[in-house]
Amino acid sequence: MKSLRRDFSSNPQAANVTSKVFVRSTKSGKVQKIVRELYLRQDIPCSSKLCSLCPSIAPADANGNITPFILSDRPAGTKAFPRGHYLVPDTNALLNGMDLFEHTGAFYDVIILQTVLEELRNQSLPLYNRLLSLIKTDEKRFYLFFNEFRLETHVRREPDESINDRNDRAVRTVASWYGEHLRASSKKGKKKKNLRKAKAENVTALSLSDYVAGLEDSEKLLDMISEAREARDTKGSARGQLFYPEYYSMSKLQTGLRAGTLHQGVFNVSPYNYLEGSVNVPAFDKPLIILGRDNSNRAIAGDSVVIEVLPQDQWKSPSTKLVDEEAVTRNDNPDTDDTEAVVTDRERKALQEEVKKAHGKNSEGKPQPTAKVVGVIKRNWRQYVGHVDSGSTGSQAASGRRQQTVFVLPMDKKVPKIRVRTRQAGDLVGHRILVTIDAWDRDSRYPSGHFIRSLGELETKGAETEALLLEYDVQYKPFPKNVLDCLPSEGHGWTVPASKEDKGWNGRRDLRDLLICSIDPPGCQDIDDALHARPLPNGNFEVGVHIADVSHFVKPNNPMDLEASVRGSTVYLVDKRIDMLPHLLGTDLCSLKPYVERYAFSVIWEVTPNAEIISSDFTKSVIRSREAFSYEQAQLRIDDASQTDELTESMRNLLKFSKILRQKRYDAGALNLASPEVRIEADADEVGDPLADVKTKSMLATNSLVEEFMLLANITVASKIYASFSQTALLRRHATPPPQNFEDLMNQLSKKRNMELDVSSSGALANSLDRCVDPENPFFNTLVRILATRCMTSAEYFCAGAHAESEFRHYGLASPIYTHFTSPIRRYADLLVHRQLASAIGYEGEDGHAGLEGVATRGKLDDICRNINYRHRNAQFAGRASIEYYVGQALKARGEKMAVDGTDKGVDEEGYVMRVFENGVVVFVPRFGIEGVVRLEDFVLPGESSGWNVTERRELAAHRITDFDPEEYTLRVQEKGHSEKERGVLVELFQRVHVNVSSVKEEGRGAGKRRVRVLITGASDKK
Amino acid sequence: MPLDTSTTYPLTRLRLDGRRWNELRLLQAQISTNPASSGSSYLSMGNTSIMCSVHGPAEGRRGDAAGSSGAVVEVDVNVAGFAGVDRRRRGGGGDKTSSRIAVILRSTFQSHLHTYLYPHSTISIHVSVLSSDGSVLAAAINACTLALVDAGIPMPGLLCGCTAGMSGSASTPKDPRHDELDPLLDLSLPEEQELPLMTIGTTTVVPGGEHNMDDDEEETTVALMTMDSKLHSTYTETMLAVGIDGCNQIRELLEDVIKGSNRG
Repeated sequence: MKSLRRDFSSNPQAANVTSKVFVRSTKSGKVQKIVRELYLRQDIPCSSKLCSLCPSIAPADANGNITPFILSDRPAGTKAFPRGHYLVPDTNALLNGMDLFEHTGAFYDVIILQTVLEELRNQSLPLYNRLLSLIKTDEKRFYLFFNEFRLETHVRREPDESINDRNDRAVRTVASWYGEHLRASSKKGKKKKNLRKAKAENVTALSLSDYVAGLEDSEKLLDMISEAREARDTKGSARGQLFYPEYYSMSKLQTGLRAGTLHQGVFNVSPYNYLEGSVNVPAFDKPLIILGRDNSNRAIAGDSVVIEVLPQDQWKSPSTKLVDEEAVTRNDNPDTDDTEAVVTDRERKALQEEVKKAHGKNSEGKPQPTAKVVGVIKRNWRQYVGHVDSGSTGSQAASGRRQQTVFVLPMDKKVPKIRVRTRQAGDLVGHRILVTIDAWDRDSRYPSGHFIRSLGELETKGAETEALLLEYDVQYKPFPKNVLDCLPSEGHGWTVPASKEDKGWNGRRDLRDLLICSIDPPGCQDIDDALHARPLPNGNFEVGVHIADVSHFVKPNNPMDLEASVRGSTVYLVDKRIDMLPHLLGTDLCSLKPYVERYAFSVIWEVTPNAEIISSDFTKSVIRSREAFSYEQAQLRIDDASQTDELTESMRNLLKFSKILRQKRYDAGALNLASPEVRIEADADEVGDPLADVKTKSMLATNSLVEEFMLLANITVASKIYASFSQTALLRRHATPPPQNFEDLMNQLSKKRNMELDVSSSGALANSLDRCVDPENPFFNTLVRILATRCMTSAEYFCAGAHAESEFRHYGLASPIYTHFTSPIRRYADLLVHRQLASAIGYEGEDGHAGLEGVATRGKLDDICRNINYRHRNAQFAGRASIEYYVGQALKARGEKMAVDGTDKGVDEEGYVMRVFENGVVVFVPRFGIEGVVRLEDFVLPGESSGWNVTERRELAAHRITDFDPEEYTLRVQEKGHSEKERGVLVELFQRVHVNVSSVKEEGRGAGKRRVRVLITGASDKK
Repeated sequence: MPLDTSTTYPLTRLRLDGRRWNELRLLQAQISTNPASSGSSYLSMGNTSIMCSVHGPAEGRRGDAAGSSGAVVEVDVNVAGFAGVDRRRRGGGGDKTSSRIAVILRSTFQSHLHTYLYPHSTISIHVSVLSSDGSVLAAAINACTLALVDAGIPMPGLLCGCTAGMSGSASTPKDPRHDELDPLLDLSLPEEQELPLMTIGTTTVVPGGEHNMDDDEEETTVALMTMDSKLHSTYTETMLAVGIDGCNQIRELLEDVIKGSNRG
């Protein structure tokens, strides 16, 4: 018999092959042993420009390119290493100080080892991704060195060595190899940091903080080292009290989830009460309520948590109180929380009062199931924008550079304050700063985090704008070079090719002789859409919607496309626009500007004079817009009877059709929803009243003209792409809201106004909303519509395969199918739809092989949908927050201008009560589109000599008693010891009230923070 | 959790196991490993190892018309329960992958071998996959070729198999302006699970009598090309070229093995 044993000695190659063996356990609990081959090699370059050996061995890739060497030949020096150095961080350094490595002031020429990258990936995926993107950028000069594959630096695990020790040894081996290697090829020292043992192997090792201490600006940088791990090291288990219960073990969670005793969902926090959270779980119709710190157990808004339902005797009604974290925990000291209980007495009291309410009779007051958090599946921590709570800085703040602990109050009220250790407390007070949460241990009442950077002083335009963008995760960095490289090389000089033989004309219809015009808001630069209408010989009309052909310029999967898909949407702030596509495309080449030829994607219908659609047609085209109107201009031109030219006539036809279409849509059950929006016209002059810029949105007939045709185009396109791509068509749906969402509103309406809301279908809802009219209160109807809108789910993008066809419905528009097609310049979804439509109509593209472009696979589309839904929502939030900030600033400016005797008298306006709490109400002020929380002290009682000062007023709250009736939705506020007649005021839901709006600076603890204060100066005319 | 090709390959141009794009795994082979069969071989490409034995040409089982024009090739593939990461106990009858491999091998060798020399007979090939770590089909082709050579069954040239893959987003057409392609040769299992993969088998045909005998250049024919993954058509040409190149490398290795063996 011959032996099958392999004879390695005969093969010279075999000597360099080794194998990596590791054991892993699968989800189902199986243990797998994985054996991977490793081919050790000597041609992995060191990538240092100092090296003279490596360039000769560096191999080429499949395209014959050699990766350029990254590490600089003049690395920066520090105090300890004046001659320059490269850094070889180990995993812990990266875990603790990723923000440091991203800092632009230091940390250049870093060698990242494969060992470290792998370890980092196992420990923290987000950090791993951040590191990867660092490696990909050129300017930081991070080099990924595959040490495990280099013959000299490969380290075999010793029999008794732990994996951590092995990895540490690998890092040290590389460091000493680099040292020798560079010494051999040139003369320059190189250093590294890794602890203890390194000394023995003659490698310079430093701990991260020691290293940073040697850099310039070290104080700022030291703050950026992650708080969490170091604290754990020093404090250890010796620390005293544990505030929070432990999470269940992973296996217990999984068993519970499978058995249905535990539930998983996303943790939400009530905007009115920071102690009240809710989790929507698939098992129940209504969200489960989570009350108090104990139960929410270190979950932060947005985390994916596992919850357990509490026994029935602990069920409570949702809070009817306004609870503000700042007000309740005002006096906490960040340094000494070891001695305090997790729930302070004040907080406990706030909760007790809620239990009392548990016995109410109507549905709002009924005890509802509560739950507690028993585990966190995935933290959704991000970077938070906030400011240092000036009350928490020590008195010695201004002096020395001692490290101290301060609280940072995040801008997002749903996030608890964050404990941050800093040496620059004095400098940071009064600044907008960016912090991140590192950990929330059981022994700490608040999460601990670290400082990342300062955005600038509070209330400066730059800082606040950047804060908004960061808070809503808007990508606002300028477009990188590789994106700009994708732009047409002609730049602004690009034109539609004159010759029709040009490949640009392939498959395009020449529509240049049509009388096309665009109608947009004033000052609009990115014109997405244009329209035309003309009579046909047979008595019908041809109506066309022409959309900027962005997909011609943005080819799938090039860097520009990828960047746009990440950005997802253009974000409009009051004074700034964050573009999805580079300026050149958005405002020039794609924009359907008047008088020039542009590529377009056209939808053309033949309609009867009664707006019945006979046929529809889609084509890529070339158009020349005759005029770009603003809504007002278009309206004036249509109304002006003396204008009888063809263009005006075509606009009149369009208007006529749009009215019929609109009526048809309403007949089908479309909803007319309201949103509390105001518009800012920022270009007003400086001298006038700053508030004059704030305008409520007015609807002209021309607004709805454009809107109707856009809706029609979107619906037509949606059916077309769905017919072609039954699985991958990108559509938009608005789910029918479950009737229980409307319960509260229905209750309130029937109680207070004796009105019925029929929510059985969108048509029924539209009709019943129309009936909710208060003759004495014209705004009442809008208020109800706003409230009804909030009961609904938000619309979302999805790909057709993800839902059954019956689920495609767009509830608000009462359309069975819908998509977004008409704004490709500012929405990525539209761009994808353009590609799908192009492929559906068989458009071949310039070079004839565009056949299936952009029709991505389902999985990829699902990812894109998730991202654009998220971006879309954030873009809206950011836009609203920007308006809110602007209104506040306008109020402040006005206040400063109008203040005669040094105090701000505010603006008297009308407001409407939206919600009633036990200790305050929420008032909506339509003039400014703001919602204001009115606390007890903000009620101006009859006969009161009004002092407007914030601190004076705060004192008042203590003297007031309230009488809150949760079933009638009324709140009576009166002064102690007075009979209600003379010094009391009764407020009820939906009531119109007189309010005084002003922007006030918070004094005392929250100093430097500004809020819009609403004072109720009197209940208005009640019937 | 180890790294994967799609994230690190673009950064370092090194694959998960430390190879460059155009490198084969370590290929080792022996022939005449089982004296009881007409021909046998053992071949390993990296951690994929295959044992193959050939019986025949032997008299056909039935005297019907099936083999009247030439020998019938029968292939039987058995993947050992311990071949993969999970130890799997198999019921009788073999699974889908192994019967797929068997069908491909059968049709490939049926047309490749000079079967017309052995009418009414059967050549049966038994392939045992001892350990599977990617490119199993390619390894099986190579092992069969060696075993058939060992059995002395005439064929026009060595039939060698190899796999080629494509990293990057291969489901969309390549961008003419960014003409960077990242093909990979001889995929291992983790790569195979991640990337689109094509198995290619080529053979060199020794020119026959009618052709010009002076022509030194051997003519390479693609005898087999199979791909299960989705891939945009613009990439196939590159992958094919890389695969053919890999087959040529393997052919040299196999020739060395054959020449180097001193069969008793």
